[in-house]
Amino acid sequence: MAIKNIVVIGGGPAGLEASAQLHYMGYNVFLIEKNDKLGGHLGKWDRLFPQGIQSEELLNPLIKNTAGVKTFVNTEVVNINKLEKQYNIILSNGITILARAVLFATGFDLFPASKKEEYGYGIYDKVITNADLEIFFRTKSDSRIVNPLKIGFVHCVGSRDEKTGNRQCSKVCCATAVKQACEIKEVFPNAEVICFYMDLRMFGRKYEDLYLTAQKKYGVRFIRGRVSEVGENINHQLIVKAEDTLSSKPLKVTLDLLVLMCGMNNSSEGIKTASLIGLKADEDGFFETLNPMQGSIFSHKKGVFYAGAATGPKTLPETINEGRAAAICINNYIKEEINE
Amino acid sequence: MNKFGYSLSPASVINLDNADKIKFKELIDLEPDVLKCMACGSCVSSCSAVNFTNSSLRSAILSLQNGLPEKAYEYLKGCMLCGKCTMICPRGINTRRLIISIFQTYNFKK
Amino acid sequence: MRERILGGYDNFVLPFMIGIVFIITYLLIGLIRVIIHIPGPDRKKLLLSFVNPSAIYKNIRDIICDCLIHVKIFKRKAILGYMHASIAFGWFMLIVIGHIEVALYVPQRNGVLYYPVFFRYFVKQEGDITLRGAFFFFLMDFFLLLVLSGIGLAMYKRVHSMALGMRRTTKPGFADRLALYCLWAIFPLRLLAESFTAGISGGSFLTKPMNMLFQNFLSDDMHILPTWWAYSVALGLFFIAMPFSRYMHIPTEALLIVLRNAGLKVTKIRKGFAAAEIYSCSSCGLCIDACPMNTQKKNLKYSSVYFIRFLRRNRTKKINKIAEKCLMCGKCVALCPVGVDSCGIKRAQRTTVYNNLKYDYSYLTSVSHNPPTNTNEEKKSSSILYFAGCMTHLTPSIIKSMEKIFESANVDYQFADKDGGVCCGRPLIIAGKADAAKEIINKNTELIKASGCTTIVLSCPICLKVMQEDYNLKGINLIHHTQFINQLINDNKLKLSKTSDSLVYHDPCELGRGCNIYDEPRNIIQNIGELKQAQSEKLESICCGGSIGSLSLTYDDRTKITQNSVNKLLINNPDKIITACPLCLKTFKDQAPVPVEDIALLVAKNIEVA
Repeated sequence: MAIKNIVVIGGGPAGLEASAQLHYMGYNVFLIEKNDKLGGHLGKWDRLFPQGIQSEELLNPLIKNTAGVKTFVNTEVVNINKLEKQYNIILSNGITILARAVLFATGFDLFPASKKEEYGYGIYDKVITNADLEIFFRTKSDSRIVNPLKIGFVHCVGSRDEKTGNRQCSKVCCATAVKQACEIKEVFPNAEVICFYMDLRMFGRKYEDLYLTAQKKYGVRFIRGRVSEVGENINHQLIVKAEDTLSSKPLKVTLDLLVLMCGMNNSSEGIKTASLIGLKADEDGFFETLNPMQGSIFSHKKGVFYAGAATGPKTLPETINEGRAAAICINNYIKEEINE
Repeated sequence: MNKFGYSLSPASVINLDNADKIKFKELIDLEPDVLKCMACGSCVSSCSAVNFTNSSLRSAILSLQNGLPEKAYEYLKGCMLCGKCTMICPRGINTRRLIISIFQTYNFKK
Repeated sequence: MRERILGGYDNFVLPFMIGIVFIITYLLIGLIRVIIHIPGPDRKKLLLSFVNPSAIYKNIRDIICDCLIHVKIFKRKAILGYMHASIAFGWFMLIVIGHIEVALYVPQRNGVLYYPVFFRYFVKQEGDITLRGAFFFFLMDFFLLLVLSGIGLAMYKRVHSMALGMRRTTKPGFADRLALYCLWAIFPLRLLAESFTAGISGGSFLTKPMNMLFQNFLSDDMHILPTWWAYSVALGLFFIAMPFSRYMHIPTEALLIVLRNAGLKVTKIRKGFAAAEIYSCSSCGLCIDACPMNTQKKNLKYSSVYFIRFLRRNRTKKINKIAEKCLMCGKCVALCPVGVDSCGIKRAQRTTVYNNLKYDYSYLTSVSHNPPTNTNEEKKSSSILYFAGCMTHLTPSIIKSMEKIFESANVDYQFADKDGGVCCGRPLIIAGKADAAKEIINKNTELIKASGCTTIVLSCPICLKVMQEDYNLKGINLIHHTQFINQLINDNKLKLSKTSDSLVYHDPCELGRGCNIYDEPRNIIQNIGELKQAQSEKLESICCGGSIGSLSLTYDDRTKITQNSVNKLLINNPDKIITACPLCLKTFKDQAPVPVEDIALLVAKNIEVA
C-alpha cells in the first residue's frame, strides 16, 4: 500500500508521543491541534506530581520528538468520511488528508466549576480552581490570591458526583491537591492549609511519600468531609461548611482562599469530532473502547484508535504510555491490512 | 477458684453479631437508596437543623447498619425535611424519602 | 296541541322512570353523606354562602360557565370545548324547553317526571301551526341538532383522539362504556322517535323532513312505539350506569363549584369535600398530558386521573403509591377542566400515612430572633426583612445578587437567615407531616412578629407560598424578590442597562401556579434583554424536576423530567434560561446546555451605575 498517512487528533501528551513514535516507525503523520500551541493542558501546568518535575521538562522533549511530524495548529477536523480502507479527513484549513488510521488523542475538559454553584466559583472573589492555581504558580500573579492566611482545597469537584453526571473518580485530583497544598505552603509559609476530602486516593508510586511530606513537612490538615456550602462574610472571606465525619461534627471555617479540585470530563470538542464517524461516548462521558482490558486503545471502528484521557481520567505517565501503545497498535493494524 | 474473665462494657463496642439485620433488610426493600451512602457528610454540613441540634443522616445510616436504631432516632428526630441534603447528596440519594422510610420501618411513631 | 294518549301514560316510560328515580335517590343520599362529613365550621361557611348575594351570583355564573358552556375547555381547545358545550348546554335547553312546552300546552301534566321527556309521543298537533308552536318546534330541533353534532364529535374523538389535541386519554371501565354507549344512543334515538312521530305531533326543520323521508319507504306507524321504547331504555340505562361511571361528574361538578366557592378545603381523604372532588373527575385524561412525569411511559399510571379512580375503588396501596410519587407541581390541577384539587387530596392522603411519625423539635425553644452576631443597632430599625430560605443557601448567586440590589437601591434591610434559619415548614406540609409543620410555623411566626418588620422579601417561592397560605402574618407584606425588584424598577430606584441577550423565563411551580406571579419576572426581563417564549409557559410551565413535592421519585427519573423541561424552554434558542427559584436554578444548572441564572443575578449584573 502506498499511502502511509496517519492522522493524530489532539496535540497533548498522548498525541505528541504517538506522533513521534509513528513518525519514527516511518509513517507520514499529521498532528492536528485546535489551539495555537502544542502540549494541551500540560502546557498550562507548573510542576507535576509526585516528584515536582517542571512541566517543561516533560513537554519540551515531547514536542522536540515530533520534529518530522506535519503539525497543524489552530486547526480543527471539519469532517471525517470512511472510505473502504481509509479515512478521508477534511480540516478547517482546507486541507484534505487520506489516512490509513486515525488516532483520537482528544484529551479532557476540566469540569466547569461554576456548575457547582454552592462552591461559589465566579460568585465569590476568593474561590479559584486547580487550573487557576497552576497558572498562579507559573506567573505568580492572580488578583484573587493576596497573602492568604487560611487556604482550603476541595477535592472531588465535579467528580464522584451524580448531580453533575460524573459518577467516576477523576483519579489525579487527590494527588494534585496534595501537591498544590505543599506548593502553596512554599509560597505562603505562614498559611494554614486544609484539604477537604471524601477518600484520599494516593494510589500511585511515590504518592504516599507526597502525602507524608504534606503532613510532616508542610503541616497540611486533612479533613474527611465534603464541603457542602460556601458563604461569605463582610470582609469577603469565605465561610466553608463541611462535616468533620471522623469526629461526627459539622464544621465551619473561615478561609481566605478556596481551591476547587475540578475533575476531568471528556473533551466536548473530541466528542463532536468522534460523532462525525458515529463513535459514541459511554454513560460516564468518556469514549467507549472495544473492550475494557486489552482493547482500551481500540474503538468500535476499524482503523480508529484512542489514546490518553479521552477514554477516562489518567495520569501523565499513563497517558504517555498509551500514546506509545497506540503507535504500536496502529503499526500492527496497518501491517496486517497489507498482508491480507 | 472463681471463673475469671474481662467483661466488655457493651456501650463502648459495636457488636455486629447482635445487629438486627432483618429490619435493615426491610428498610432496603422500602428505600434501596440507603445502600448508596458513601459517608461524605454533605447531608450533615448542609443540614438546616444542624445549627440547633445534632441531626445527621450519615450517622443515622451508620447506626442502623450497626444495629442501633435508638441512636438513629436521636440523629433524625430534629429533621425538618427541608430537602437541602437531597439537593446536595453526591450519590443522588432520595434523603427525604429515606428518612421517612427509616421512621416507618423502625416504628418511630407517636 | 292537545293530549293524544289519554291518561298520559304508556309502559315504555318505565325504563326511564326506574333510571331517574334511582339516580335521584342516589344523588340525594350522596349529597347527605357529603354534608355529614363536612366539618362544622365549614358547614357554617357553606350556609353563609347560600345567603350571600355575591356568593350566589358567583355560584350561578360558575355553574353556567363551567358546567354548561365549559369555558375552561373552550379556552384550551375550541373544538373540544364545543363538543362539551353542545352536549351539556343542548341537553339542558332540551329539558328546559320541554318543561316550558308542558307548562304551556298540557299544564295538567306539570310535575310528571317523564312527560317533558316524551312530550312528542303524548301530544297531537291540531290545525295549523301557530307561530308560537313553530318557535318551540324550531328550538327543540335546533338544540337536538346541537347535541347531535356534539355526540358526532365525541364518536369521532374516540376514534381519533389525536385530532382534538389530546395525546392520551384514559381507558374506560365497564360502567364507563355502558354509560358512554347509552349517551351516544340517547339523542339519535330521540331524533328517530320524534321523527317517526312528527307526522302526528308536528316538528321542525329536522324532524319534519326526516318524517317525510321515512314515509317514503316506511309507510306505517309501527316504528313509533319501538323507537320510543329504545329511547327510554337508553335513558334509563344511562342513569343507572351513571354513578359507577365517569359521567357522575355531570351532577357532582355543580356541587363542587358551590362547595369550592364557599371556601372549603380537603380535610378527610375520601369524604366530605374530597368526595365531591373525587366524583367530579370526568376521567377526561387532560392530566395525563399535563403531568411532567409522563415523559416516561412507565409513569403514566401515576397520573391524577388514575389516582382518583383508585380513590373511588378504595385501593389504598395504589393510592399511597401515586400520592408519594406526585411532584405536587399543580399543573394537573391548573389544567383540570373541573378544577379537581388532586394535589390537595394527595397531601391529605400523605397525612394519613406520615403525620403519626415521631419528631422532636424541642430545640426550637432555644432559637431566638436576635442572633448574638447582629451588632449593628441601626439596622434593627429597618422594616424590610430579607428571608433567603434554606435552598437559597445552596445558590449563593441569589444571595449575593440580592445584597447588591438592596445596596444599589439604598434599601435598608435585615437579613433574616444569613447564617441559616429554621425551615419554613412547607416541605413538612407537603410530606404530610402536618403537626410537625405547625410547630415550625408557630416558631417562625413568633420570630417574624418579634422582629417588627412590615415587609418580608423572599427568594424562595416555597417559603413564600407557605407564608401566604399557612402563616398568620396579618399586616406584613409578603413579596417574592421578583415583585420586589419589579417595584424598585417601577419606582425608578433601580436603573438597568439593556443587553442584546435573548432570555427565556421558566415559571417555577410554586411561584407561578402556586402564588400566581407571572408578569413581574417577565417585566424585569424585558427591561434587560429580549424575552423569548418557551413551549409551555405560565400555567402550563413544566416542573424543573427538582420539586420537593415528590417523595419517591428517584434521581434518574427526575433527570428525565429536567431534560424535558429544559428542551421545552430552549425551543426558541434563547441565550440563557432565567428562573426565580433556587431549586429550579440548581436543578437546571446541572442539566442545561446554556447558562441558567436567577433573575436576581441577571438584575445585579445589569445595574446601571449612576
